[in-house]
Amino acid sequence: MTFLMQCARWLTDPAHWQGPDGIPIRLAQHVQLSAEAVALGALIALPIGILLGHFGRFGNLAINISNVGRAIPSFAILVIAFQAFGLGDTPIILALTALAIPPMVTNSYVALREVDADIKEAARGMGYRELAQLVRVELPLAVPLIMAGIRTSAVQVVATATLAAIVAGGGLGRYIVDGFATQIYTKVFAGALLVALLALATELSLAALQRALTPRGLRSLNAPASRRATSFKTA
Amino acid sequence: MPSDPWINWDWLGTHIPLVLAALQQHVLLTGIAVSAGLVIALPLGIVAHRWPVMRNPVLTVTGILYTIPSLALFAFLVPYTGLSFLTAEIGLTSYTLLILARNVVVGLESVPPDILDAADGMGYRPFARLIYVELPLALPAIMAGIRVATVTTIGLITITALIGIGGLGQLINKGLIESFHTPLVVATVLCIALALVADLTLAGVQRLVVPWSRGVRA
Amino acid sequence: MIRKLLLSLTALAVLASACGSSNTPAAPKGTIVVGGFGFPESSILAQLYGQELAHDGYTITYKLNLGPREVVAPAIKTGQIDAYPGYAATDLEYYNNKAGEATGDPVATTAKLNSYLQPLGLVALTPSAAVDQNAFAVTKETAAKYNLVKLSDLAAVAGQLTMGAGPECLTRPYCIPGLDKTYGIKFKAFKPLDTDGPLTRAAFKNGSIQVGLVFSSDGDLNALGLVVLQDDKHLEAADNVVPIIRTAVASANVKALLNKVDAALTTADLVNMNSQIAIQHMDPDVIAKNYLTAHNYFA
Repeated sequence: MTFLMQCARWLTDPAHWQGPDGIPIRLAQHVQLSAEAVALGALIALPIGILLGHFGRFGNLAINISNVGRAIPSFAILVIAFQAFGLGDTPIILALTALAIPPMVTNSYVALREVDADIKEAARGMGYRELAQLVRVELPLAVPLIMAGIRTSAVQVVATATLAAIVAGGGLGRYIVDGFATQIYTKVFAGALLVALLALATELSLAALQRALTPRGLRSLNAPASRRATSFKTA
Repeated sequence: MPSDPWINWDWLGTHIPLVLAALQQHVLLTGIAVSAGLVIALPLGIVAHRWPVMRNPVLTVTGILYTIPSLALFAFLVPYTGLSFLTAEIGLTSYTLLILARNVVVGLESVPPDILDAADGMGYRPFARLIYVELPLALPAIMAGIRVATVTTIGLITITALIGIGGLGQLINKGLIESFHTPLVVATVLCIALALVADLTLAGVQRLVVPWSRGVRA
Repeated sequence: MIRKLLLSLTALAVLASACGSSNTPAAPKGTIVVGGFGFPESSILAQLYGQELAHDGYTITYKLNLGPREVVAPAIKTGQIDAYPGYAATDLEYYNNKAGEATGDPVATTAKLNSYLQPLGLVALTPSAAVDQNAFAVTKETAAKYNLVKLSDLAAVAGQLTMGAGPECLTRPYCIPGLDKTYGIKFKAFKPLDTDGPLTRAAFKNGSIQVGLVFSSDGDLNALGLVVLQDDKHLEAADNVVPIIRTAVASANVKALLNKVDAALTTADLVNMNSQIAIQHMDPDVIAKNYLTAHNYFA
């Protein structure tokens, strides 16, 4: 019990909440790295997935990109980015973005495919043209699964951002890495706890957002777990 | 510093034993984690299915474990289980639990009620019904889960190098410390290749075992 | 170097094939586990010691790249490793809890070190002439800009500069605290990177640090455009290479073999072997074998 109490003491020590290595700054760095990667990834992945899904093209690619993405070793990608582009946030964000893209492509593709064909036909019959149909009919129905993809990506990016500390990045991973180097295990444990909490908070808040964005009519259809197009863990 | 090709084929040619040893350890770690995960997740999923009140707790707990970043999970374990094979395997196995348990549950839930009725009508006791009727019909979903769990684990093992356990992650570390591209690139390519080969192999096994189903997504 | 948290097995197979078996005795002499720090020079030294012992019939297991002393010392204290290549002054300041007793005299420093090691069941052997100290480097441009030749020159401008090193530098007496105490150097900022590894070099290259910790025996400093600042007030003490082993394995034979390796080792040798890793990407065990063969240890 004493070890855990020491960790609690580390977390409540006011010195650890100040300065460039303090919890608020490290947390902010971690969130910033993750958010930028997910945003950039979404900017690339969502249009691709949505368009592929809408037109029903390259389905195998869209679905299997997640399989490949899941197989990419995240640690290796970070190191490759470091060796190719040097130190700094940009290489880290590039690596994280690469990992963020696959689940969002697959989920948005599947989301668009799963829109009922009857609904699409009805829309066409009502006079909707291509773009309008996509934006005003299909996308709202696809939102839950698209959000699920964003959520999956976000949680994985937060997890992988922990590794950024190994290539001199900031973020909560610093406590784990620096703590190991100086054998201050309370620091390691505290860092791990903060990272785990952040990951859980990301998952829960985006799940709530997903629920909020789901059109009310769909909310009552409790999609079984198998409907979640991909489960994705890279770190 | 002289420029470094991304793959130095000479180095690769003279270091095949090193690479193969890393690959072998990687496969071993994967096999143990997924097998252990199955041994735990199968009964867990059956329980969650049989007693619906357990469904949410089981999926929630395994889900929380799954969400914890791997470096953090290893960091939690190290003060108690040390920088050891056990620590790595505990972490890796935990991550397979959500995928496998969830797929066991979903698989069992997908068995049509008519078939269950028919089985009852034929005189199957609950346990026998589970073994001879429900599980075989749940097999496609379970196999799909095993595939995802395997590919995921292969990717995660590279991180165990940070707590000193082997596998292809060792080569990544070597590449980082020595500012050397080749072991890094080799490890990345092999990791992806290993995952894809494993996935295809398991898909083949799935086709053999449950030929009536195709393409069930995890 | 990257802070390594591990006990990793190296290519033991490579060692087994590298070591000639012309001198295998009838009865095995027992197993010795040799550990190393998380930077390549340590792996080379560990291989030198290990291969020399293996040639004499001992079975050697390597646990290299363990990390900084904060990981290696507990490992030897608990018997997870039997030996590691230490550095006299830095090891003294670790085992004496930063009492500040190390001097520029390797023999005296090692004797003091042994007084702390003995109760722990450890012993340091004869220090080598080869030295590898902490050194603080700047880029040639920075040196020119602020007219920096020695560390005392840094005191005036340090407030504008960022320093990079491994995270343990913040608490090591010969690192940040020592620079402050001996030279009055207070940096603008500190970046936790690695102990003289790729991250530090990359940070120099992209300008995010102006001062960095390197090792005086590095083989690639010139090629990187880095220049070491002179330690004019002698902050760094006698960091001569010295094997630190558990008394349980410290037989007269083992001690003689290890001292033999140390006796002939020079700083120039270290620089040379380090550059073989840094620039030619050779493996530590091959480098060690070449050295031992060239110096007729395997005659």
